[in-house]
Amino acid sequence: MSSSSNNLGPALTRRPQAGRSQTSAARARRIAAVAFLAPAVVMLIIVRLLPAGDALFSGLFHYSLVAGQESWVGLQNYVDLFTSGRFWNSVGITLLFSIIINPLQIAIALALAVLFTQRMHGSVLWRSLVILPVAAPGAVSTIIWGVIYRPDGLANAFLGALGIPPQPYVISTGQALMSIIILLSWGGVGYWMMFLIAGINDVPRELHEAASLDGASAWRRFWRITFPLIRRPLAFVLVADTISNFLVFAPVQVLTQGGPQGSTNLLMFDIYERAYKLGDLNTANAEVVILIAITLVIVAVQFRLLRSSE
Amino acid sequence: MAEDGPVTITLSGTDGPESYAPVIEAFESENPNITVEYNQIPQGEYAATMLQRLKAKDTSIDVLTVDQPDVAQFAASGVLSDMSEYADQATDAFPADQYEVNFYGDKMWALPVWTSTAILFYNKDAFTKAGVPFPSSDPEEALTWEELRDTAEQVKTGAGIESGFTFENPASYGSVITMAASAGGGTGITGDDGLTADVDNDGWVKAMTWYAKLFEDGIAPRGTGQIGTDAYFAAGNSAFIASGPWSVGGYLPGGWAESSIDWGVAPFPYFEGGDRATWTGAWSWSYNPASEHKDAAKKFIEYASLNAEGNYKTVETTTIIPSNLEAAAKYFPDIQDQAGDHGAGLADILTYQNDNTALARPVTVGYVQFLTVMNSAVSDIVNGADPEARLGQAQTELEEALKGLQ
Repeated sequence: MSSSSNNLGPALTRRPQAGRSQTSAARARRIAAVAFLAPAVVMLIIVRLLPAGDALFSGLFHYSLVAGQESWVGLQNYVDLFTSGRFWNSVGITLLFSIIINPLQIAIALALAVLFTQRMHGSVLWRSLVILPVAAPGAVSTIIWGVIYRPDGLANAFLGALGIPPQPYVISTGQALMSIIILLSWGGVGYWMMFLIAGINDVPRELHEAASLDGASAWRRFWRITFPLIRRPLAFVLVADTISNFLVFAPVQVLTQGGPQGSTNLLMFDIYERAYKLGDLNTANAEVVILIAITLVIVAVQFRLLRSSE
Repeated sequence: MAEDGPVTITLSGTDGPESYAPVIEAFESENPNITVEYNQIPQGEYAATMLQRLKAKDTSIDVLTVDQPDVAQFAASGVLSDMSEYADQATDAFPADQYEVNFYGDKMWALPVWTSTAILFYNKDAFTKAGVPFPSSDPEEALTWEELRDTAEQVKTGAGIESGFTFENPASYGSVITMAASAGGGTGITGDDGLTADVDNDGWVKAMTWYAKLFEDGIAPRGTGQIGTDAYFAAGNSAFIASGPWSVGGYLPGGWAESSIDWGVAPFPYFEGGDRATWTGAWSWSYNPASEHKDAAKKFIEYASLNAEGNYKTVETTTIIPSNLEAAAKYFPDIQDQAGDHGAGLADILTYQNDNTALARPVTVGYVQFLTVMNSAVSDIVNGADPEARLGQAQTELEEALKGLQ
């Protein structure tokens, strides 16, 4: 007791010392954490949050070119958008585009990922060829496809060789959106496939071997082993692909200008046209806020669906 | 502003650099301390790009060309310099329409350099092969659009060529405005403030329905955008092309669309029973209020616009009509000479149309918006959209866009 009580003194005196060194270590760790996080947080604020805040704020004003001044209009820009046929057409086109392009790109990317992870001759070469278009910037691949889609271009020459009459592609209301989906998928499929290949390669080979020994078919092994185990990369691909497809701009700007008859007027292009061609930055900013909101809702639903099925 | 030492100023426009080379060279030799560099920006993006850069006070822009209908919006946006000091000199130097088009809110914001008119070019080889007589070059005997359609069809079939008629820019508002006006539809903009859209009236519907049918019936070609209609006509694929004086130089040997066929000129058509209307007006020049070399910029604009000799230099390569009256008086006979046999009657056509049938594009602060909506509507109609429904849609879009400016 006494010794322990004797020891208490130094222990008591030591303890604060230990506490001090612990707090200073914790503080040092905190400082390090803050230092490491700071660049990302600062960039997040500068390039994401401030512009978003600016869009939100600016969307509540109206600039009159005739009067030369800006005035507060509250939610009027939103009211104008919600009563505009052009805006609803653009929302409809964007949703239709998303409903087609996302499942299409992901299904093809997944099928190719499964195919190219099989041990077969030349799969590395084929894989590289599929990934290659990713290297072409969006505007460049758009221009290449613009040439392919010309009335006298490669696509019609190819169809001609098969005895199919020439198609109008980007100048037809019925084919323009699909033409853009095809050109985007040319690069997109290879890109998303890379993430899925990485996921499939992480699936332990023993599981497949064991299932094979038990007589499971390749199809059954895919659904029972591969698919559940790549859910995480698949979820990432689904969300990231959805967001990137909501922000498609270059092919519309270069090839169709939103036409013919508004059939490719995706929201991102409509925002650009409202801001810089129709000169209405305020309403365009309100539209940006709506686009962000739609994207957030859809991504939230995707996360929820993926979580509940886990 | 080191105006005493050597300065370099920029000129921004949409034409190829060769168009401005003669005026730049002549100006530089008179002003050895000033060097002019030309920046070309694609026409489709020009107005929006310039507005954006000028609003951001981009000092790399000194002198800029402005499409005349855009003067109002550029001035209202505060991106042009007040050039009212030249107003007195300008009243005598230019025709009235070319003088007035540069005013917005009682101030003069630019000086005119080029104006234009519409010319109907025809393929003499194809007419001869089809056994169809040439159209008259008498400025008072213009074809009606109805006659043009019949003739175009006869020549197309008789000579076995691809098309009967095309505009230089088939899918643009600037081309069809004269048709709509001739059908009684006006320019598409009304009201004192120029902010009321009127593009779904009977005249517009009549003109656009007639125009759409040309494409539907295969008399006018779709999808020549990739090669350019000038080259298309110059290679002998169409009986007619409606273009401007600039194409005269284009089709001549060494021009940008050097013609492999024999061609002639005729006055621009109109609808039977309607008024004749030909487009007019082209580009004015102004300078950036944020320019660091304002004196040099002003000197260059004075030379290219008010100085008859300098103004003439601007049309040496591109055969377009100089705005300066003294330069134009020299230009009309010159361009006819330049065109040789092809140009028989050209000087009379240019003079007559400029004096009698010129229809200015609407003056409105909303011209950039108006053009964006209308170009897309005309493009859709050319590609098969129902004209009446599409004009109705354009009307709604315009009401929305023009309201946004108020």
